[in-house]
Formats: sequence, C-alpha cells, structure tokens
Amino acid sequence: MAGKISNTPATYMPSPTSQNKKMSSIFTGSDWVRPDGRGPHQCRPSFLRTGAVNYASGSAYAEFGNTKVIVSVFGPRESKKAMMYSDMGRLNCNVSYTSFATPIRGQASESKDLSSMLHKALEGAIILESFPKTTVDVFALVLESGGSELPVIISCASLALADAGIMLYDMVASVSMSCLGKNLVIDPVSEEESYQDGGLMITCMPSRNEVTQMTVTGEWSTPKIHEAMQLCLDACSKLGKIMRSCLKEAVTLPQE
Amino acid sequence: MVGLSLGEKNFIKGGIAQDIRTDGRKRLTYRPIFVETGVIPQASGSARVKMGATDVIASVKAELGKPNASHPDKGKVSIYVDCSPTAEPTFEGRGGEELSMELSTALQRCLLGGKSGAGAGINLSSLSIVEGKVCWDIYIDGLVVSSDGNLLDALGAAIKAALSNTAVPKVQVAANASLDEQPEVDVSDEEFLQFDTTGVPVIITLTKVGKHYIVDATAEEESQMSSAVSISVNRQGRICGLTKRGGAGLDPSIILDMISVAKHVSEQLINKLDSEIAAAEACEEE
Repeated sequence: MAGKISNTPATYMPSPTSQNKKMSSIFTGSDWVRPDGRGPHQCRPSFLRTGAVNYASGSAYAEFGNTKVIVSVFGPRESKKAMMYSDMGRLNCNVSYTSFATPIRGQASESKDLSSMLHKALEGAIILESFPKTTVDVFALVLESGGSELPVIISCASLALADAGIMLYDMVASVSMSCLGKNLVIDPVSEEESYQDGGLMITCMPSRNEVTQMTVTGEWSTPKIHEAMQLCLDACSKLGKIMRSCLKEAVTLPQE
Repeated sequence: MVGLSLGEKNFIKGGIAQDIRTDGRKRLTYRPIFVETGVIPQASGSARVKMGATDVIASVKAELGKPNASHPDKGKVSIYVDCSPTAEPTFEGRGGEELSMELSTALQRCLLGGKSGAGAGINLSSLSIVEGKVCWDIYIDGLVVSSDGNLLDALGAAIKAALSNTAVPKVQVAANASLDEQPEVDVSDEEFLQFDTTGVPVIITLTKVGKHYIVDATAEEESQMSSAVSISVNRQGRICGLTKRGGAGLDPSIILDMISVAKHVSEQLINKLDSEIAAAEACEEE
C-alpha cells in the first residue's frame, strides 16, 4: 500500500464520470486501445502477499492494477450460540468497501450481493467436514475499486484461507471478462465495466478443473461464450500458479 | 425444509438416473404451466404462474421518475422478490431474506442485460420520456405464494407474463417547457401502450442430481442437488444471463453442455408460455 503512486501505470486514467458518451464509441470500434494500454487478452499485473493482518488466523493482500483488496480469515472458531448443531463447518463471508474506494464517496456497489457471491464461490472449495461445529469468518475489504473487484476478492480470499491453514480441495482463482461490441476483454477496469455489453465471471479450481461459480450478464452467442470461458479458464490456471508461488514464497522466506 | 429418508433419497436419485422421475416425468419435461394474467387490479400489469405446487405472482408498476445521471436516455427497471411465510414457515421474519435476495439478483442478472443495456428483456430506451428529465420507473415485484422447487423459472415466467399484460399510460409532454425546468407531463388515463415483450428471455434451471441434470425440479429433488445452473435464453437462442447455485464444482464442459440443452429446452418453453399467456389474456378479456 505504501507504493501506491509508483504502482499506478502512467497510462492509466482514473475513470471520469463526465465524458461517458465519447468513450463508448472508442471501445466498440475496431482499432481501440484499452484505457491502461493492455492488449485485449492481457491481465493486469498482480501483486499478492499473505500475512497482511497480524491478528487474523490468515490474511492476504491483493493488488490488480488499481483494485486493492485485503482479506482476513478468522477461525475456525465456535459458532454463535443461536446456530444449531452442525457436523459440517460453516463459512461466513462479508465484503465491505471503504468509503474512499470509489471516485464518488460511498458510491460502492451492493456489498451484500458480493458477500453471497463470495460465499458461493468459496464453499465448494473448502473441506467443511474438517471443522465441525465451528465457523470460519472471511472478511474482505476493498481499499480501492478499480474494476473487477469480485474476482480479485475471491482469489485473495482463497489465498487468505490457505494462509490460515483451512483445508481446501484446491485454491480458487477467479477472472472476469467484458464484452464490448465485438471485442472480448479480460480483467476489465471499472471504466470498461461501465460500458460493457455483457460480462462473464468464472471462479474455478484450476488443478481440479472445476468451476465453482459462474455468472453471465448481457446477451451472448454460444461461440462467444465458448471463447470467453476458454480464455477465462486459461487465465484462472495461470493465476492459480501465481497464487501457489506466493504461498510457497511466504513459507520459504524467513519471517521478519 | 424437506425431510427425506434414505430410501426416498435413493428412489429420487435412482429414478433420475433412469430418466423416470417420481412424478413420472422425464428429465427434461416441465410440469404443466398455468398462467393467469391481470390478477392484481392495482398494478399496471400482473400475472400468476403455477407449476405443480409452485405458485408465484408477479406485478409490474410503472411510475414517473427521474433518469440516472449516467444514463439520461434510459428508464429504470428494478426487480424485487418477496418470499412469503405462507409458502414455508422458514421464510418468517428474516428467514426468507437470503432466498429473496438470491432470487432478486438472479432475476436482475437474467432479465436486465449488461450495463450498456444490451440483451435486456425490456428496451430501457423506450422508457425514456424526456431525456435527462422524466422517464418511467418500472418496479417488478415477485411474490412466492407457495414453493415446491424451481422458483426462479416460475418467477421468470410470471414476470414475462406480467410484462405482456402491462399497459403503460400514454404521456403528453408540454412543449413550451424551458430547458432547465422540469417539464410538465400529462398522463393519459384512457390511452395505454403495451410493452414489446418478444425480447424477454425465459429462465431455465438445470439441476444436477447425481450424474444427470433435470429441468423444473421439485423441492424434494432440489434437496438432493449438487449444483444448479440457471440460464436465461431469449427467442433468438442467445444467452442473456447465467447463474450458478450450489456449492459443488462443475466441469467446464458440463456447463457448455448445459447451455446447449437449455437452448434446446427454451424453444419449447417459450412457445408453451406464449400460448398460455395468449390464452390467459383472451380469458381475461371475456
């Protein structure tokens, strides 16, 4: 977080809300350039670190371009008294935005919806039988919203779960994609997201080749869905490798 | 919640594996659909859809409102679902909230299209009256009266029926209004306009039980599911939205397979639904 300014690519323009009409024509044209100068199938540079919060059982910090997320995992700890007995563990997810995360203060998207999406994406990957009667809390905080928050939150949360030593079938990697006119762009920034004709998000467990969650909005033809899914799955498996190496790094490097 | 014995569970799973379900249907057969339109006189349009013991009501209300600053040339549509405790005792108090929210977001995702408005069931630009000043706000409310599985498909069908039942009053705008003033609008109470609902997609939920997947699952069958994928398909056979429920992961090739099955099933469902809606409208006029 310290290198906030140096991390920002020089070509990136923070999304101004005023000049919207003009932009949309650039996006749908054939010789368009993405706002941060990436190729259409190029993901943003990512930065991942575990152990962002000392007090938590496990935590992770993720930075994808301008999207910055911190996730801490607490537990497994005793479920609340009101909960009924369960021989399976419970997962509790909560996503919140800082009030300064968006260009206009406090104008964050529905975080309740994001919380349930995070829950659905992760529950398939966690071996809930391994901690009966207890609850694992996953708290995500979006420090800065720069587009594709949900995939970043999900990837970061699975890293934090692994850091906390929660038993997982596999890491969960997530990538989203926007459809702008005829173009498919991977890992969209918020500017691109606001003009998208359709969006697709996949969360998957790369080594098991299983999709834990998938959402599609907007109108898609079948070949396009095939293409987008393939691109996303490919990106997910690459992201999975990065996440793995991040975990290994945390173990091999001596703790400060 | 559904309480099933081990024998019953095996019976359901075994039946689905052999393509004959407990009520005699095949895996890709819907229960009979009953549509009734104009059930709520207070609303601009309404419909009630019954699929077996699943019973839902959708109402559409149109109100004059102000368009969003980011989309001055578009109207607004919002979808909410309420799960009544009359359907299931667990819906009482805040119990139904989680399900209500899940259904609302799934419907919004499936029916409202992308951010730019592409693939939306309702053309948002047609809701604009004076650009940047006045537009129609469409409130779609779903109510679950009785629940026996497959709520999302039933709600989707009810909303489609309610929209084709909807009559929005014709609006006259006073021509002499100056630029920065709020223009005067005169809402006609005699002339009404109908929505073009040909673009409204249908939602098909494929519930995976064991190795196979079924359409229109009952509550008992849903309790045995590993995961479910809801796909909304419009008349052109294009995918307008997709959501997944249930924790278990799916192989990507299965999802693609489900999409092609949903496209196939959607043709029959759209035709069936259209004829039911037409019959209900004719019945109402009599």
